[in-house]
Amino acid sequence: MVLLNAIVSGILFGGSLALLAYGLNLCFGVVQVIHFFYGQCVMLGLYIIYSATVLWHIPLIVSCLIAVAAIIILNVVVQLAVVQPLLKAPMINQFLALASIMTILENSAMGIWGATYKGVPISLPVLTIGEIYIRTSNLIAFVGCLIVVGLLYLFLNKTYTGLAIRATAQDKEMASLTGMNPRIVYVITLALVGALAGVVAAFFVPIYPVHPHFGGPFTVMAFVIVILGGMGNLAGGFLAAFIIGVVTMVVSFLTIPEGGPIAVYLIFLVVIVFRPQGLLGVRERTG
Amino acid sequence: MKRLANLPTGALLFILLLAIIFPFAPLSLYYTHVMILIFIWAAVTTAWSYMARFGMISLCHGAWMGIAAYTSVLLFNFYHLSPWMGMWLGLLGVAIAAGVIGYACFRFGLIGHYFAVTTLVITELVALVIIAFRHITGGRLGLSVKPLGTAPLYFQFESKVPFYFAALALLLLSLYIWRKIDQSKAQKALAAIGEDEVAASSIGINVVRYKTGVAVISALVTGMGGIVYGQYIMYLNPITMVSIGASLVIVFMGILGGMLTLWGPMVGAILMTGLQEYIRIAYGTVLMGWAWVAYGVIIVVMIIFLPEGLHGTLIEALHKRRMRKAARV
Repeated sequence: MVLLNAIVSGILFGGSLALLAYGLNLCFGVVQVIHFFYGQCVMLGLYIIYSATVLWHIPLIVSCLIAVAAIIILNVVVQLAVVQPLLKAPMINQFLALASIMTILENSAMGIWGATYKGVPISLPVLTIGEIYIRTSNLIAFVGCLIVVGLLYLFLNKTYTGLAIRATAQDKEMASLTGMNPRIVYVITLALVGALAGVVAAFFVPIYPVHPHFGGPFTVMAFVIVILGGMGNLAGGFLAAFIIGVVTMVVSFLTIPEGGPIAVYLIFLVVIVFRPQGLLGVRERTG
Repeated sequence: MKRLANLPTGALLFILLLAIIFPFAPLSLYYTHVMILIFIWAAVTTAWSYMARFGMISLCHGAWMGIAAYTSVLLFNFYHLSPWMGMWLGLLGVAIAAGVIGYACFRFGLIGHYFAVTTLVITELVALVIIAFRHITGGRLGLSVKPLGTAPLYFQFESKVPFYFAALALLLLSLYIWRKIDQSKAQKALAAIGEDEVAASSIGINVVRYKTGVAVISALVTGMGGIVYGQYIMYLNPITMVSIGASLVIVFMGILGGMLTLWGPMVGAILMTGLQEYIRIAYGTVLMGWAWVAYGVIIVVMIIFLPEGLHGTLIEALHKRRMRKAARV
């Protein structure tokens, strides 16, 4: 019965992970850059919400919107100042540049907010269904993230801008031939990715207290999901998020808290060596 | 190009002589401490560049340092095995880990950022395993070496001078191996592999063997760096030594100085360690975080404008000037 509890919380965790991985995947699919400071964006969003609500007494909803806006601006600035000049550079240079931004964000957070845990005090009730306990905050995050994923899907498939993003992801030259400016599409994509990170931060507020190194594990986790589902494969990423969520929770429950991430990383190593195209991906490489 | 990358023998010997008499100069002990750190990091970064200069950007060198250092220190703390013996077991562990992981990565053609990300996950994995076995390793709190005072048989000294020479020897070894690789057939093979793996294997180069070989050598020297560091500081911590942060420090030093030349990684290590120590002493730990922010910005700017690093760019500029002069004459 306790194991069932772990599985349920794993599925709920998977919802947030799905949204995280969706952003990373979108960035990889469209701009073809690994968004290496993605978890750090979430971390920054949490800090901004904390400052706004606890220190400046702004209502929670408003401060969440402020955080989303701030993360969008950050991502657009990074896109224009760092990614754009490096688009033609080797992938590894882009990767290292974004890794440096990760260092910049973590240490800035350390300098501004200090190394201690900070959290917004919100207490939500715990639901009980039979013998299964569900934290309302996790449930809200789960439902909220699924709704946002749904909205994103509609945006990418039904609106003109969304179609332009998908077209650029599929064939950049062809898309620009038909009059879409890839630069603008990239900026829009990064803004969207930033918005997703901000939304994840908003849903994480009642669940986690934040500290400067909060983001790292989430970046790696989202990355593992993206690889597992196949890079650029949004449906695969969605499925993989739930697998990873359940594995993390169940293994952590059965062994020690570190067991979950260790199992996830081992899965990652096996997948990247033996099935680099991911669970649902199509093998493209011939080497 | 090759001659330019190397200083004349006379100058080299002079610098070496200066390095040897340095710890006996009437200077504060603190400078010896800074030099030891610089030597260790320069050796490790040079070892990292064995791979990086051929396009294999590894983010798990912190893990190699950690595996070697933890093995040797744990054997000493629990079984009273001298680090002089334990270090071989630690290095064996590192060699096996690097060999297995390298073989798996290279056999299945993980290159570029895929390789970088895989090594990153390995780093996190090693750090988490160390944290998970907290009843042995002390977990996040770190692990102290049992102090014995001055005990040469156990690689413990109260004076900094023996560590100074150990670190200097390690640096010289690391540079020597760089030269050896550079002069050997492996350099040509690895350069070809770095350009195009498929083409290289089609002319009969055993891609997996060369790449795994250089990965193991690089990991071994890095492991030695970890052991010297552990014995000198007498304290190991999975966060500062093994996790992403530590591995990124090595990468940053390499990029800052330039990973393509012999002296590049050393220039990077001198600049970063020196600056870090200066800021720590002059402004205290509060500013350390902001120093890292500044490093991050500098690295981003370097990657965009000077992808060859400070030393690499300087060499290139000198080379161009000489070529122009030669053309004029």
